[in-house]
Amino acid sequence: MNLKFAIFKPMLKLAMERTGHGAALGFEITRVEKGEVELLFPYQAEVVGNPLTGVIHGGVIVSLLDTCCGSAAITMLDSRVVTPTMDLRLDYMQAAEPFQPVYVSAKVYKHTANVIFCRGSAWQDDRDNPIAHCVATFMKVETSSISLGSVMARQIKRFFQSKPTHLIREDE
Amino acid sequence: MIESPASLQTKIADARALRNPQQLLDFIPYAAFIGAKAEVKGSGIIYRLDKRPSNIGNPSLPAIHGGVIGGFLELSASVEILYTAKVQALPRVVDFSIDYLRPGRYKAIYASCEVLRQGRKLINVSALAWQDDQSTPIATARCHFLIS
Repeated sequence: MNLKFAIFKPMLKLAMERTGHGAALGFEITRVEKGEVELLFPYQAEVVGNPLTGVIHGGVIVSLLDTCCGSAAITMLDSRVVTPTMDLRLDYMQAAEPFQPVYVSAKVYKHTANVIFCRGSAWQDDRDNPIAHCVATFMKVETSSISLGSVMARQIKRFFQSKPTHLIREDE
Repeated sequence: MIESPASLQTKIADARALRNPQQLLDFIPYAAFIGAKAEVKGSGIIYRLDKRPSNIGNPSLPAIHGGVIGGFLELSASVEILYTAKVQALPRVVDFSIDYLRPGRYKAIYASCEVLRQGRKLINVSALAWQDDQSTPIATARCHFLIS
């Protein structure tokens, strides 16, 4: 693994876990390799879709798989490219067990000049018995203003500005 | 809070009788989590997702998270079924597909749904999301739900 990728990993985690909807959902990115990302979503009562059973809403699975696949797509590129989702198709194989965490993995299976093709899977007890599976495609858009790099730079700046004491303590 | 299938059925019947689909969203915690709203306009229901920081995907644009748009459309489709189709229980989603047509900018998103086919077991719903104008949609989705 090169140095650039070693720096990229914590930056991706910061951008995905600490901003906007990612922060609201409260997942943790557990693995980042080139073309492969995994995350862990602990159960949250706020995102229940069926109040009779406590099963989380399908929309959460959409967000987790979109985030995981999108992150896997970003690992294929340099920082001046963004990857908006073109489309995402999701099959729900079974309802998620309530009160249990959900694990999500995503893998890039084809990378062309303009499009990145991803597969994603969500499971609980058994990786081979998923609760949902998806395919998603991402467009490669060359830009500097909205790239992951600029998002992360802004986040890091904000993070250090808001918590200077925390930073000092960690350094010591 | 919903304690039993019977109380759920009562809530569904109430929402239909009062022509108030918002009552259906009120008992789904995920709807409050993303801030989804629904009201009857003309002959159908218009769903609305107001902007809020916790729905942002890309903070530097800022843009609404694609997953939130997907979740909002799936939620809207299930409320459309509860409101318009004669079902007694919450529909269970089988598959969901979304095409993103434009970025969701940081302002309200609107959606409408249409039940394209209702069988005994399966129901197919299409959903459309837009911001300024219905003729320039930001996303289109379709899904299957089991209703028995």
